[in-house]
Amino acid sequence: MKPAPFEYCRPSTVAEAVEALGSSESSRILAGGQSLIPAMNFRLTDVSVIVDIRRVDGLDSVGCDAGGVTVGAAATQTRVLNDDAAAATVPGLRAALRHVGHLQIRNRGTVCGSLAHADPAAELPALAVATGAVVGVAGPDGERRIDAGDFFLGPFWTALEDNELVTEVRFPAPPDGSVTIVDEICRRAGDFAVAGLVAVVEADAGAVRSARLVGFGLGGAPTRLPTAEDALSGWAPDHPSSGLTEAVMADAAGAFDDIHATGWYRREAVAALVVRAARSALAGSEAA
Amino acid sequence: MSLDIDPHIRHSTRHVGRSVPRREDRGPLTGRSRYVADIRIAGMLEVVFVRSIEAHARITAIDTSEAAAVEGVLAVFTAADLADVSTFPDFIPYIGPVEQRPLAGDRVRYVGAPYAAVVAVDRYIAEDAATLVAAGTVYEPLPTVADLDQALAPGAPRLYDHWESNCSFDVAPHKPEVDRAIEEADRTFTETYVSQRQTGLPMETRGVVADISDGTLTVWSSTQSPHMVRTTVALMLGMPEPQVRVIHPTIGGGFGTKTHIYPEDVVVPWIARRLGRPARWIEDRMENLVASVHAREQRHTVEVAYDDDGTVRGVRCASMLDMGSGEIFMPGTAPVFVTNACITGGYDLPNMEARTIGAVTNKTPAGAYRGFGIPEGAFVMERIIDRVARLTGTDRVDLRRRMLIRPGQTPYVMHGGGRLDSGSHTESFERALEITAPALERARARHADDPDVRVGVGYANYVEPTSPSYHLTTGHWGGGDAATVRVDPDGSVRVAAGLSAIGQGAETIAAQLAADMLGVSPDDVTVVLGDTERAPYGLGSWGSRGAMMLTGSVLLASERLLDKARRIAAHMLEAAEADVVLTDGAFHVAGSGRPSVSWAEVGTAAWVRNVDLPDGMEAGLETSGYYHPENLQHQLDDTGRINAAASWANGTHIGVVSVRLSTGEVRIEDYIVVHDCGTVINPALVEGQVHGGVAQGIAGAMYEHFQYDTDTANPRFASFMDYLVPTCAEMPHMEVDHFESPAPEQPLGVKGCGEGGTVGPPAVVAGAVSDALSEWGVDLTECPVTPVSVRAAIRAAEAARGGAGGAP
Amino acid sequence: MTTIETAAEVDVEVRINGRRHRHRVPSRLLLSDYIRDVVGLTGTHVGCEHGYCGACTVMVNQDAVRSCLMLAVQADGAQVRTVEDLAPAGSESLSPMQQAFHDNHALQCGFCTAGFLMTLESVDPDQWREPERIVELLSGNLCRCTGYQNIVNAVAEAWGAYHGDGGSDDG
Repeated sequence: MKPAPFEYCRPSTVAEAVEALGSSESSRILAGGQSLIPAMNFRLTDVSVIVDIRRVDGLDSVGCDAGGVTVGAAATQTRVLNDDAAAATVPGLRAALRHVGHLQIRNRGTVCGSLAHADPAAELPALAVATGAVVGVAGPDGERRIDAGDFFLGPFWTALEDNELVTEVRFPAPPDGSVTIVDEICRRAGDFAVAGLVAVVEADAGAVRSARLVGFGLGGAPTRLPTAEDALSGWAPDHPSSGLTEAVMADAAGAFDDIHATGWYRREAVAALVVRAARSALAGSEAA
Repeated sequence: MSLDIDPHIRHSTRHVGRSVPRREDRGPLTGRSRYVADIRIAGMLEVVFVRSIEAHARITAIDTSEAAAVEGVLAVFTAADLADVSTFPDFIPYIGPVEQRPLAGDRVRYVGAPYAAVVAVDRYIAEDAATLVAAGTVYEPLPTVADLDQALAPGAPRLYDHWESNCSFDVAPHKPEVDRAIEEADRTFTETYVSQRQTGLPMETRGVVADISDGTLTVWSSTQSPHMVRTTVALMLGMPEPQVRVIHPTIGGGFGTKTHIYPEDVVVPWIARRLGRPARWIEDRMENLVASVHAREQRHTVEVAYDDDGTVRGVRCASMLDMGSGEIFMPGTAPVFVTNACITGGYDLPNMEARTIGAVTNKTPAGAYRGFGIPEGAFVMERIIDRVARLTGTDRVDLRRRMLIRPGQTPYVMHGGGRLDSGSHTESFERALEITAPALERARARHADDPDVRVGVGYANYVEPTSPSYHLTTGHWGGGDAATVRVDPDGSVRVAAGLSAIGQGAETIAAQLAADMLGVSPDDVTVVLGDTERAPYGLGSWGSRGAMMLTGSVLLASERLLDKARRIAAHMLEAAEADVVLTDGAFHVAGSGRPSVSWAEVGTAAWVRNVDLPDGMEAGLETSGYYHPENLQHQLDDTGRINAAASWANGTHIGVVSVRLSTGEVRIEDYIVVHDCGTVINPALVEGQVHGGVAQGIAGAMYEHFQYDTDTANPRFASFMDYLVPTCAEMPHMEVDHFESPAPEQPLGVKGCGEGGTVGPPAVVAGAVSDALSEWGVDLTECPVTPVSVRAAIRAAEAARGGAGGAP
Repeated sequence: MTTIETAAEVDVEVRINGRRHRHRVPSRLLLSDYIRDVVGLTGTHVGCEHGYCGACTVMVNQDAVRSCLMLAVQADGAQVRTVEDLAPAGSESLSPMQQAFHDNHALQCGFCTAGFLMTLESVDPDQWREPERIVELLSGNLCRCTGYQNIVNAVAEAWGAYHGDGGSDDG
């Protein structure tokens, strides 16, 4: 299990990185490498040029202001996880990152790398969609920004063009008083989720006022659950709205079968997670 | 042969029975151990095997030219190059011969079968070339069989053209008393139970390094059985056995997978000989998942006869093993026979008729995995008992009490001839129940307020045959081991044994035994294991045989040595031999104030100052003992029965689980083990064996599962993301207690403890989850128990009742 | 025009266990293989080469990382620590964590041990002392022999924390 040969470069500016990325059809960005290098060790991915952006000036920054958190492409998951200001501004970041891999993976893996990799069972893409994050991208024609909702197109498939790289992601702060829950069902600690949920819930007097629900681990891109969001409005533990489970099941109808779970199980499980999240949000016990 | 009955040895300190710290620890703790992948020989070449990507195919062409042209590649070999190597022997007459070649020729029968070997200056380049060989391989795909049903269907595609079907063996005893039981019982039920495909998965993969110099071929192999590798390699390469030396360096776990002798064990030495250069192959994990044996894939169809009061009158069982392609030496057929032999566990159930069937499929060959068939049988038996209890309204615990082998009932002969020499079957269960009671209360209290959680408890009472016969497994080897003990001129002791050290602490145990026999400190004992040149013949470490084999062989050799040493000492002390005693490491005359003679003085007399020896005594102080356990049988008797184990350990496992109804998540809240492996040599090591075994058992009960595509027989796994080895976070707290029922016919009463931990968990988890979900009537019949299978069971139960299928 | 150069071979300078190493290596060389085969420190073991088992865990600039998921060139300029550096130099004694592993029978075959030790060495015990946190921390390393219980006990002992629920059942 050794990588096939490739050419390596270590640009120091985004412009150089973009240029190197364009130098070959099968060039790839290496940031944390925690998904790319395993794929290369398995020789599952054809790579001719590796563009190591870990030392590009400024890409390892984590910026935090009242409006949100901006994470550079080289910033590790551990760095963001341990950033108290980021956790205070966008609580979902810490909540999600706690579920990502293991310590050793987070020490190398990057937040932006997880988005660019777009594993359907990963937490961070779902968080990006749930919070309305914006992905900053650089390419030969300059920079552009892509809403997370438009960024994830399918499993391991994003709106990035071949010669573009993610430079940063901006997670906006959730509405005041809202609770962000990241919950999932895994076979083992640290695994990708069999079924997962990011919920941003606003509550009023013991009942849900509104919620933004994004399922993951269901197969394709992070999955908004719009019918369930409607059904959850006004939900309270002592008078749960009928049809919530059915709504989630309908929203998650595309959930897939694999060796870990059936699509049916995934739909049931994410429905259970929605109920759990609503209870938890109302109990004020944020999962962060 | 007991330490306690030799009146000539008096120690103020005994080491057997104490948790003597492991001598094996320092190397791994400081990074100074040498595992097979750590061996460096100047000029060593790297071998990579090219493996089939088809489950069943003819290979019509292999173009190796591009690969051979890669810079750094020395050679590419295929089956045709190995014409001078023999076929792996087919030693067992009653199973279908597979005539396995070291490299597959024109036919491949599973994904992962090696058919070419690339030799290069490093692994990276060898892998580059291997991809070119793969690209240059032309397959003609053949129809596949992916499971037992497909394999045994009429007209199924055959793996072996010269066989009549894919059935390798079918051994069907008939017991009229079971016919009678079924006829006379109040009721019967039939059911099918399934255990899934898993593997031992040592953290260290396999590996072989070979070098030939001065006419001797030295093979370093991560094997559990170096002498057996030597015999096989010499046989297949046509070399005299003294010219082949096999060494196992530090071994990173085996768990049965490294008992087999694989193609790579033969091909790498052949390459070293052919090229005249050292060569090595280290299995990578992707290979390991398809190229090291799998295990445990069995299906059991039972017909159970029982009375209204819960009495189980008799059971008829057909146990079927999915052997994979069967291309493995020694064959992987024995575990299912062990399943049947042990299926009644700790219960007194003579009316058992067990048929044993094995069939080949287009999957990785099945073989040994710690537990060796016992967990599968325990799963069947405990599920049967729970079913009968539920059907008759009998208490599950009381029913087990009624069925368990009672104190005073040993020696007890099981349905297949297994002779339980001693044990604590009832006592272990009662003790485990005591420990469980508060744990169960805690779990119930913890979840009392959560309507989404149910708590359940599951039980297993099993037996663990130890130091078994290897004749039934290999068709060739037997069941004994040798040891040599030497005292050097400086008085230090050297023990060499045919057993191997695979992480279980064998060296520490050997030192404890020799220390007590010779009245020295374990620190004064050097232990040599796992080197065919430096240690006498032995079959290695498997079958929970280490403790008993070391005890038997080291005690035998030590006794002989002590006898001679005492004669030397008596001569030096000018005393009668009968008056000489060994006290705290020195010989002296009992009751006399005369100075003593040390081991160094005796050793010096024996090897150096021969003038100090009695007249006519042969010089030297080195003795050997070959130990073969009493009562260990290698062949069936006239009634088709056999006691194929030297002794029988036993144990009870009880698990308390919580089940989350909405998601099917199962959590083991507490896991209780009461274990009886006879006399304990080193309590800490025994407990370690239990912990590790239970962890692997839980892995099989809930996580690990090799799944294959039913249409193509292609693996649906490639990594640890698909094959779910549990982490620390999945493990429950284990509470372990012990009984010690000495093995009456064995030295020191030692039995063995390597495998018992794996036996209980599948039965316990399935039983506990079924108990937790009893209000739905859930009765699980398959492992692994997963969130998906739990939800599916709840949903099926709700659908059967006409209720809604949705989550609560 | 390409101004940035790509190369199949790269210069690497790494300080490993305090000693400086400079080599020209293939760009594809994994850090695990660099440590084991080029530098010759074989105490770091390779168990899966896809970043799951944790056997190859080393410290890079204080962080525990999977050395099979890093290229050697990515460690250029970094400080690396391996298991060989844990015991006090020039003495027979062990580090407190190594000693706790020994005392608690927290290793059997020992193949995974280096990875566990390096993970533990990399963290601040004050952040990870609670029993649940110890389990969380250790869940990034697979062990196949011990069932983990004695490893958890060893860590708790070394860090001076104890289980609340009955604790160690060592006899």
